[in-house]
Amino acid sequence: MPPRIQLLQTGRSIAIRSKTSRPLSYPTPLCLRLQQKRMITADQKPLPEAEQNPGPNQEQLPHVSEEAATTGKITGEGGPEVEQGTPVQEVLKRDEKAQENAPKVMQDDAKPSAPKGTRLYSTSARRLAQTQAIINLGPAELEPSGQIYGLPELPLPSTSHIKHRYDPIIKQVTNLLMQDGKLSVAQRNMAMILERLRTAPPPTPDPRRPLLPGAPPTTHLPLNPILYLTLAIDSVAPLLRIRSQKGAAGGGVALQIPIPLGLRQRRRTAVMWILDAATKKRSKGSGRTMFAHKVADELISIAEGKSSVWEKRGGVHRLGVASRANLSFGNRRRPK
Amino acid sequence: MSFQTCWRCLSKASDPALNPLRAPQQSWLLFPASTAPFTISASLLALPPKKKGRPAMTEKLVRGAKQTFTKKKKKPTDTNKGRKPAPGERKALRKRVVLSNTNALEVHGLQDVSAESITNDGLKGQVLGIPGPIVDRLRAVEAFKVPQGWALFRRPAMLMRKETLEFGKEMEGIAQNEEKKSIRRVYVGERGSGKTLMLLQAMTMAFLKDWVVINIPNAQDLILAQTEYAPLPSTTNPTLYTQRTYTAALLSSISRSNPILTDLQLSQPASTSDLPIPIPPNISLSRLALLGASDPETAWPIFQLLLTELKKPGRPPLTLCLDGLAHVMCNTRYISAPKYQPIHAHDFTIIKFFLDHLSGAEGLPNGGAVLAATSNSNNPVIPTLNLALSQLEGNQAVQRDPFAKYDERVLDVFNKGGVEVQRIGGITKEDARALMEYWARSGVCRQKVDEGFVGEKWSLSGGGVVGELERAVLRMRI
Repeated sequence: MPPRIQLLQTGRSIAIRSKTSRPLSYPTPLCLRLQQKRMITADQKPLPEAEQNPGPNQEQLPHVSEEAATTGKITGEGGPEVEQGTPVQEVLKRDEKAQENAPKVMQDDAKPSAPKGTRLYSTSARRLAQTQAIINLGPAELEPSGQIYGLPELPLPSTSHIKHRYDPIIKQVTNLLMQDGKLSVAQRNMAMILERLRTAPPPTPDPRRPLLPGAPPTTHLPLNPILYLTLAIDSVAPLLRIRSQKGAAGGGVALQIPIPLGLRQRRRTAVMWILDAATKKRSKGSGRTMFAHKVADELISIAEGKSSVWEKRGGVHRLGVASRANLSFGNRRRPK
Repeated sequence: MSFQTCWRCLSKASDPALNPLRAPQQSWLLFPASTAPFTISASLLALPPKKKGRPAMTEKLVRGAKQTFTKKKKKPTDTNKGRKPAPGERKALRKRVVLSNTNALEVHGLQDVSAESITNDGLKGQVLGIPGPIVDRLRAVEAFKVPQGWALFRRPAMLMRKETLEFGKEMEGIAQNEEKKSIRRVYVGERGSGKTLMLLQAMTMAFLKDWVVINIPNAQDLILAQTEYAPLPSTTNPTLYTQRTYTAALLSSISRSNPILTDLQLSQPASTSDLPIPIPPNISLSRLALLGASDPETAWPIFQLLLTELKKPGRPPLTLCLDGLAHVMCNTRYISAPKYQPIHAHDFTIIKFFLDHLSGAEGLPNGGAVLAATSNSNNPVIPTLNLALSQLEGNQAVQRDPFAKYDERVLDVFNKGGVEVQRIGGITKEDARALMEYWARSGVCRQKVDEGFVGEKWSLSGGGVVGELERAVLRMRI
């Protein structure tokens, strides 16, 4: 008789692993996730800890010695040390039977013994502070030691280093102005731009296109041309750029993915836009100041809200908002 | 012959000529205006209508077909749309002198320079403002230059340095008829050390003391062959040349900048033989200058007449200034007519007028000052001038090279004696500090002005060279 076909049993055992429950990539809400990603180790602001349910191995009975310690603490007898383990000597003190069976070295150690000899030299070290106090017993104030202008105040300002003597944004914009590696020409242009910002009448602000929050009133700007330049550039700097990823949307269509930009990248984008707009302007006069004046006029028109750069920034931001659903694609690895 | 017959009413003779009682009937048309009543040509010659549908498959439209590489040409961005600038407009913008910055702060307690203060030693190392009327007159003689930093400050001001006060005292001595009647001086110095500013300060003081000022703001204008020239008929060996347009402009600036000339009148009626136009007697010298300025033909004779009038006794002292001395010490770009040779600068009447007064060939009977400044930017190298100035300065290191050719006409200017050479150097640290404090109070310099800052910038500027100091504090350091 042929064996019945057993549909529900297999001939040999198949290793069926239960499907591991793959945790979601981000089970915590967005706000906590952002906070956890901060690389802060300061004690003042400890990272918030997520409240989670205890796992299967948590909340079990404590270890035997921990239990003994707790009991000892309650009864007042003093149980075993939990933190660093109990020394053998203490165990021996408590246990008389063990004392008898202890090795001879330990038994000798337990008996008190007188010092056998004395050293010829002192072994105590004098504290360094005491020594210094003895030396400094003389006049409290030292006489100035030959500096003409006195010692500089510490910490030194960041601009005191020769390689960082200009403001960071000045350095970056100067380098972006540079053509054919001619840095000194670019620096001259930069100086002329700032001089133009200094001497041009203060801009009339446009409430529809506000500068960065916290900016001083525009009448204060011309006397601080670096701030003027910084405000104009930072106000039109885009927060993101759009990366079009080929094939991500399927069907050969590129997917628009917004990518956040860093500070220098934002400024660079804004300066390139400004330079594009400035080169398209028509020069009014002639001579070497013309390029610088065109750039400066563009900066002024940004502060006045008239520049076309504002539209460029708005366009990028609009695209970024429209494609915000594609944000998660930006973090994925490219498919192999 | 067939009759025109109406088929509807079958009436005969619709010809109005034949039947005058009836009005002519219009033929009835479906589309009266759009169709021609009778033609055969139009419909036959029309092209067949295009087929609508998918166009034929061309190579370019095949999917995946490789296209030949063609570089797309970028359309050049046309930045020159709109109105084109008028001739000279762009240059005028480039040469415009801006003397005020409304953004800069008003410096409180800024004194103005006055006729009395130019000899006051207590004012050494102080910054004094230039009064408004004087600014207008300085502008009329083109004493302000574009690259100077006037555009950064609220109003023009100047530093009273040691050389300024010395010059003021000398002017005072001349005005009080001491033994020295005139100053003949050449200012030399490094680039940016303040030679042109020294001329400006001298002119300011001359205006304050009601002297008559004649200024040639840039000697290069006279030799570049950009203003017309003509030989003076009465001169031979060498033939002198006049520059009548330039002379007319000079007369205009003299008239505008020296209001004292309105009070002075022609002392005697001008001889009609020398002048091409009749000059009314008792005309004021200001009107006389304007007369020459209006007509370039008469500019040079009137300039000569004005000069002789200004040298008559009882007239105010005269100040002559020229900037860029090296330009007038060489051959010009002008070409002589018969020989086709470059004309030497000394053959031009205006240059000759100035150099004669500088060398002492012509005196200033009423006293005055003849001042020239060399320039270290955009100037020709004239070894003869360098030699002459170095020897006058007492620099023994520069000696006459036996193998070099020297221009004797240039040496003659300085050989007669009496020309001083004054070197303008850097300012002292105290002066630099006063200047920087003025900059800081104007709101242009944002750093704290203390001893360390002043010392650092003073050293950076090569020992107080003012132009470099300005670059280091105001422009480079931003």
